[in-house]
Amino acid sequence: MPKNIPIDPIKTFSKSVLKSSGIPIHQYQKSIQEELKIYGKENLIELLRHMYIVREFETMLNSFKTKGSYKNIEYIYNGPAHLSIGQEAAAVGSAFALKTEDKIFGSHRSHGEMIAKGLSAINNLSRNKLNSIMDTHHDGKLISYIHKNFNNKEFNDAEMFLLTGVLAEIFMRELGFNKGMGGSMHAFFTPFGAFPNNAIVGGSSGIAVGAALHAHLKQNKSICVANLGDGSTGCGLVWEAMNFAAMGQYKNLWPKPFNNNPPMLFCFMNNFYAMGGQTLGETMSWDRLSRIASGVNPEQLHAETVNGSDPLSVADAVIRKRNILLEGTGPALLDIECYRFSGHSTTDTNAYRSREEIKDWKSFDPIELYSQKLLEADIIDKKNLDNIIEKVQNQIEILTSKVVDRELTPSIDITKKPTIIGDFTFNKQVNRISKTANDLLMDINQVNQIKNMKKKSRYGKTIDGSLLSGMRAITLRDSLAEAIIYHLSNDKSLIAYGEECRDWGGAFGVYRGFADIIPMNRLFNAPISEAAIVSTAIGYAISGGRAIIELMYSDFIGRAGDEIFNQLAKWQAMSAGELKLPIVLRASIGSKYGAQHSQDWSSLLTHIPGLSIVYPATPYDAKGLLASSLKSNDPTIFFESQRLYEKVEIFNDKGVPEEYYTIPIGKAVKRKKGRDITILTIGASLYPVLDASEELINHKIDAEIIDARSLVPFDYDMLISSVNLTGRLLIVSEAVERGSFANTIATNISRFAFNNLKAPAIVIGAPNWIAPGADMEKTYSPQTDDILDSVFRDFFPEKRVNKKGLRKDWNFLELAKKGL
Amino acid sequence: MTDIIIPNLGNEISEAEITEWLVGAGEEVEEGDVVLLISTTKTALEIEAPVSGKISQINFSDGDLVQVGDVVGRIE
Ligand SMILES: Cc1ncc(C[n+]2csc(CCOP(=O)(O)OP(=O)(O)O)c2C)c(N)n1
Repeated sequence: MPKNIPIDPIKTFSKSVLKSSGIPIHQYQKSIQEELKIYGKENLIELLRHMYIVREFETMLNSFKTKGSYKNIEYIYNGPAHLSIGQEAAAVGSAFALKTEDKIFGSHRSHGEMIAKGLSAINNLSRNKLNSIMDTHHDGKLISYIHKNFNNKEFNDAEMFLLTGVLAEIFMRELGFNKGMGGSMHAFFTPFGAFPNNAIVGGSSGIAVGAALHAHLKQNKSICVANLGDGSTGCGLVWEAMNFAAMGQYKNLWPKPFNNNPPMLFCFMNNFYAMGGQTLGETMSWDRLSRIASGVNPEQLHAETVNGSDPLSVADAVIRKRNILLEGTGPALLDIECYRFSGHSTTDTNAYRSREEIKDWKSFDPIELYSQKLLEADIIDKKNLDNIIEKVQNQIEILTSKVVDRELTPSIDITKKPTIIGDFTFNKQVNRISKTANDLLMDINQVNQIKNMKKKSRYGKTIDGSLLSGMRAITLRDSLAEAIIYHLSNDKSLIAYGEECRDWGGAFGVYRGFADIIPMNRLFNAPISEAAIVSTAIGYAISGGRAIIELMYSDFIGRAGDEIFNQLAKWQAMSAGELKLPIVLRASIGSKYGAQHSQDWSSLLTHIPGLSIVYPATPYDAKGLLASSLKSNDPTIFFESQRLYEKVEIFNDKGVPEEYYTIPIGKAVKRKKGRDITILTIGASLYPVLDASEELINHKIDAEIIDARSLVPFDYDMLISSVNLTGRLLIVSEAVERGSFANTIATNISRFAFNNLKAPAIVIGAPNWIAPGADMEKTYSPQTDDILDSVFRDFFPEKRVNKKGLRKDWNFLELAKKGL
Repeated sequence: MTDIIIPNLGNEISEAEITEWLVGAGEEVEEGDVVLLISTTKTALEIEAPVSGKISQINFSDGDLVQVGDVVGRIE
């Protein structure tokens, strides 16, 4: 069904002028008396105290980094410290305006934002709720440490809990919020609405949008904030994320009550510098950061530039934007201008800015300015102010003295538990499918495409053994569709998106018919923003949802490189298992379209620790493995091959069961028994290997064929026991040979089955150059003759068979020496 | 005389099923009229009359499998 947003040529070509409205710059004008009426004295003073806490906390870190001591505490801290001294008003003002359930996502420079958000949450939460959060976090270990070490009367235990959790995390201690696995740049504590900070510049932008999408679909009246640096306006993902949050389809096409935009606020903590590169005037094109919003949507993201040296100006802006977001007309953007007095990091020599400039900004020190304001308005007197400062100093000093103490606050002892980081990598949880989907547009069985599948034979051969057409028997494409629609039509927390996924049914037709069943808010066309597709899925998942996303061609993985390599793969371990990423990323290995559309990049991703990776080759496996991937709470990359979508089931003689079933990830399957040589196939290479094995029988070579199915984890047990019997191993994969996962398996087998090997394990992959176009493709992916040649040359030279493949005379060593 | 041919249906797709003929032999059609619906394992497609004229031949019936390049009918 077309969507019905008609593009009218007459209207398109009619003459007009595109207008944009102004963007307010520093329009905040409220007097302190007005603010006093709004917030009351106590809150205004709290703001100040929170700024002091942030400042003192970071002063302490700075002192350790530069002097090796803070007050009388000596400590060498080896990790990073990207301090935000000078930016406290931005962090505290914003946190003050947010509710506990609002989520912030930060950058490498976000200690202050996270602490401020926590302090604000502590003030807003009921004591009961606070207790239950603290009692359940890490089995109450942190809160009992707090009660043991600090006098409850003197120090607010929840604040000590927060500050200790953050500092212990920065110092990589087990009591840290993420057991020290995240550290300074990745700290977070979700119960207070402080979601992951991100060491990749701009990395939080898409993740926050995904979380906002979750809040939107849950309709839970909260907002999500990405706190980003001005430098991140040069990042592609940030632009992708802004567009993703602003897409027209929410308003135009999504059903009620989802027909407005996700509540997403882009907060740029604009301190005018990246590290040493100056954004304004040097590395960026904008004259004012907020201008970037005018390129995104007609509302210009409701952008404003506000004064980040005044917490009240920031709070005022965030409150107004929050209201806009809850009305559904977001996203919004704030350009919060502020200045970091601290260097980018503590080794910064400030070579890129003048002393005069730093001095000029000192008279805009937010803490000085705001203290002065409160003093002048008699909201606080000098004595009380000094008292606050002293208390904050004591608070930071005492908790620091405890955290640096390695006896009292140890790190996880990796020497005692050498594989514990591995244990954090996968949670291995299997989700029970919730039967929550009450939003289906149509009964599945009434949809033509599904009805057509029901008419097909489940097995791919006729009674007399001839092969059925994909029009008559269930194909691999159909079997993927069956697994996905089962999950989508049961589990309402699952969303599916990617490029051209809806009306088109996905570039390869797996989702055809789904648009008649699944409402648009759970199955939609994403923009051509591979990075944002992956990034938003991460945000959606860590907020409690589940996502199946499609990258169309696996060649486009590069466009989502960071999001797959550094985010999807790492957050479970970086959070010490706190976060779960139930995401299935479908990537299709192409054919016929040449070098940028035909690469098997499975090996690229097996190289990245933290991703489960499967690559089925048959309809039966595709359905069962996709079902398992969708049930898994670990991030899973699901490779498909375009050469295989039309394949019918020929191995399992009961065909592809119509009912739902799963196949465990990590189990290989024996396709043929044999005793002379084991041939392991990865993905689509199964089929040429099968043909080769038939020819081998004519030469009295009985090959055993194992189809890997899962790459991470891989079924070494089956392979080793096979190799122990045959003594020979050939691995065939369509990935380029150099650095391929097949080589990893070969090395492991050489080690673990060495005594039984009669010859070294051999890998056949694609040659180490580009995939050529359709007519030359057979010169690239391993063909039956290439496989036969290798078997005869490398394992059975005595057979003296004429070699027929393209590679028969290749000198592999010479090629390798040439980098080929 | 012009053939009605099963067009290229996309990467790795070689066959289709005749879903429904919308015209019968002897009927007059205009160039661009949809004369035939086909479906592949991936998608459904409408086939248009390549020229105006009279349908002179229909070579496959509804439900038949056809290959890319097959002449499924003729217009005179
Ligand atoms: C993708 C990426 N590129 C480069 C870096 C190295 N780096 C760390 S911080 C930084 C500057 C960031 O500037 P900005 O976004 O303005 O934030 P600020 O440091 O000013 O808070 C750079 C280049 C990185 N962490 N990630």
